[in-house]
Amino acid sequence: MSSHPEALPALEPVRKTPFNSADAPKPSGLDGPAPEPRKRRLRVALGIRAQLLLVLTVFLAVPWLGFEYVKELERFLRDAQERTLAGTAQAVATALHDRVPLFEAGAAPMGTLTAERGTDDAARADANVDAIDSPEIAQILRGLSRTTARIWVVDRERHVLARAGSLKHPWAVREPAADGSYLSRLGAWVERDVLQPLYARILQQPTEDFKDEPASGAVASGKDIEGALAGILTIDRRPTTDGKAVIVSAAHPIWVGDEVKGAVIVEETTNAVLAERNRAFARLFNIVLAALLIGSVALTLYASWLSTRIRRLRDVAEAAIDARGRVRGKLPGSTARDEIGDLSRSFGAALSRLTQYASYQETMAGRLSHELRTPLAVVRSSVDNLALHPLPAELRVYIARAQDGLARLANIITRMTEATRLEETLAEAERERFDIAKVVVGCVDGYRAAYPGRVFELRVPSGEAPFFGAPELIAQMLDKLCENAVEFAIEGTPIVVALQQDETRYRIAVTNRGRALPETMQGRLFDSMVSVREPRGGGGPHLGLGLYIVRLIAEFHGGRAVAANRDDGEGVTVSATLPRVRALR
Amino acid sequence: MSRRIAIVEDEPAIRENYADVLRRHGYEVAAYTRRTDALAAFRTRLPDLAIVDIGLGDDIDGGFALCRDLRALSASVPIIFLSARDSDFDIVAGLRLGADDYLTKDVSLPQLLARIAALFRRSELSASPPAAEEILERGRLALDLKRLTAHWAGMRVDLTLTEFWMVHALARFPGHVKDRDALMREAEIVVDDSTITSHVKRIRKKFLALDTGFDCIETVYGMGYRWNLAG
Repeated sequence: MSSHPEALPALEPVRKTPFNSADAPKPSGLDGPAPEPRKRRLRVALGIRAQLLLVLTVFLAVPWLGFEYVKELERFLRDAQERTLAGTAQAVATALHDRVPLFEAGAAPMGTLTAERGTDDAARADANVDAIDSPEIAQILRGLSRTTARIWVVDRERHVLARAGSLKHPWAVREPAADGSYLSRLGAWVERDVLQPLYARILQQPTEDFKDEPASGAVASGKDIEGALAGILTIDRRPTTDGKAVIVSAAHPIWVGDEVKGAVIVEETTNAVLAERNRAFARLFNIVLAALLIGSVALTLYASWLSTRIRRLRDVAEAAIDARGRVRGKLPGSTARDEIGDLSRSFGAALSRLTQYASYQETMAGRLSHELRTPLAVVRSSVDNLALHPLPAELRVYIARAQDGLARLANIITRMTEATRLEETLAEAERERFDIAKVVVGCVDGYRAAYPGRVFELRVPSGEAPFFGAPELIAQMLDKLCENAVEFAIEGTPIVVALQQDETRYRIAVTNRGRALPETMQGRLFDSMVSVREPRGGGGPHLGLGLYIVRLIAEFHGGRAVAANRDDGEGVTVSATLPRVRALR
Repeated sequence: MSRRIAIVEDEPAIRENYADVLRRHGYEVAAYTRRTDALAAFRTRLPDLAIVDIGLGDDIDGGFALCRDLRALSASVPIIFLSARDSDFDIVAGLRLGADDYLTKDVSLPQLLARIAALFRRSELSASPPAAEEILERGRLALDLKRLTAHWAGMRVDLTLTEFWMVHALARFPGHVKDRDALMREAEIVVDDSTITSHVKRIRKKFLALDTGFDCIETVYGMGYRWNLAG
């Protein structure tokens, strides 16, 4: 159906417009212009939630502070334990000072301290007491067995005269009280099966399952006792031979007269201190963890709420303005009395001002023409009246000029109202099924007659091109496209009118050779009363309404209007894309 | 006795200009500024023709109300709306209220005079029997050029003056395409293309109301309209 097959090369640059490119937004949906694709769903790298959680890490210092505090507590407890042991040793020694019989009984001592220390058996306590031939001393020594520590009484040869107590104590395993409620059972489970193993990794756990072998020599031989036998209260701390526990011991000399006759050794593992420290640590950590957990959940919820509101505001604000910067709908101002609500309201206010301005701009032509029409009628009726009078011929010239000017003015006013009237027409336009190719061919035939000095090249697909729409509107749109092209085309160059189709849409494109569009103005071309290029002389009035009408008609058919420079910069293509979906329904 | 024309118009310059030209053409003119004044005068004495502006001062739709009142007083007095308003909505509303024609204020005085003369001719001759030589017959269409009335298959088609002239322009040479400028010239109006489109749509609707198979007015896209002889 091409009337100018040789026109193909001329069309080539135009073909590279978004219509054929893969990333062109596909018009979808039947209502209104094709929605812009939402490419950047999430444009923030670090959301408010993540930021708040980051801030929350500051609170991780709290467990560290707690740990330091517990370590301090442990040091304090150790000092207390050492003092207690020293006190006990001193007290026992004080009771045994100057008691000569104690040392005289020693015919069959129990063995050296070194040997005895290794065999810790509570059952053998005070086994040697009976050997002492002094009920008073025996009573003192018997009383020692009530202690929680292990006490030795040795002579200068380090033979054990008496002993009491044991290093090992069966620790009561603290069973969490599990009352009936689900929550407390959950709490108990969390503490037993999650937290305790965790604490066990961090802290040394006291154990009664240690061995203290005498064979390891120097350690067991006792620095403490050497100090005590030298007459000095000595406190010693040593690990057991297997390293599983630490034993703290205090040794005090027993004086007989001016002579050190023996020593009292009181020793204890640090297990009690460790257990106490661990309990304090666990309690502190439980509280801190619970606070952190509740805090972070609350903050996360709060941050989610905030970011949801902000995102909703963003979506609404983006949806309110389309790609060409026109306001689509109103922004419902939030009633929230905080900053986000305030932001939403100020967005709403800005949008409504924008809407007012846009509608002012779009109706300005209509109102202006209405206002102009009355004074024009005054002038016209006056001139017409004058013309009806017998006037000398030389005056008739002026009447004729005035009438000519009035006719042009009337033409301008009529064209100004065209867009306004079109909007009314669109409101009640009826659609029908018709052959869009036939309309294009018919119109171009008309233009060839209407613009005899111009060359029109026509490219339409062969065969029928069914479309569901308003044919007279499509014709009006083509009128405007061609009027625009004729106005800016270089004299003698062809104007190419092309109808292209694919599965989903038609594209009517009119290309002319001439000055290119400035890049910055391309988006605004289709607004009311916006004219970008200087017309190439003469012709009708140029009000910047033609392409606005093109846009209105394209949008009425669910399509859109696009203006682009030819790739070689030697001209401009203005096109309207019309989705076919409507035709198929 | 000269014919009496009432002009209801709030803009004094326009009112006086129209009144002057009409007087010069032998009509008796009564000019009114407000709706109430005009209506009071109409109650006393009906004019032979009324030219009414829609917006009368603060009374923005005063012309419509006046037209309705005048129609209630007389079914036959020709009424012409002459307004700065040119929206389809106003045109349809005005014609529905019983006006015979709707003109925008950029009409020239000769065009206005031609219409007034035509309307007088139409109302004057509606009583007398039609003269055969003044009838243009195109198939089922019959146009009485004297009375400016149209019939389709014997039924009266209620066309306004503008519409009648357009139908006449099209039907005179069936098969010939009349572009919009030609239609405007024939109908003595100056309007834009989409108003012509609206007029043609209204004409089609009027014929379709009588005959659902009516398809004599064909749109020739890019050129204009053409009257096709049915069958």
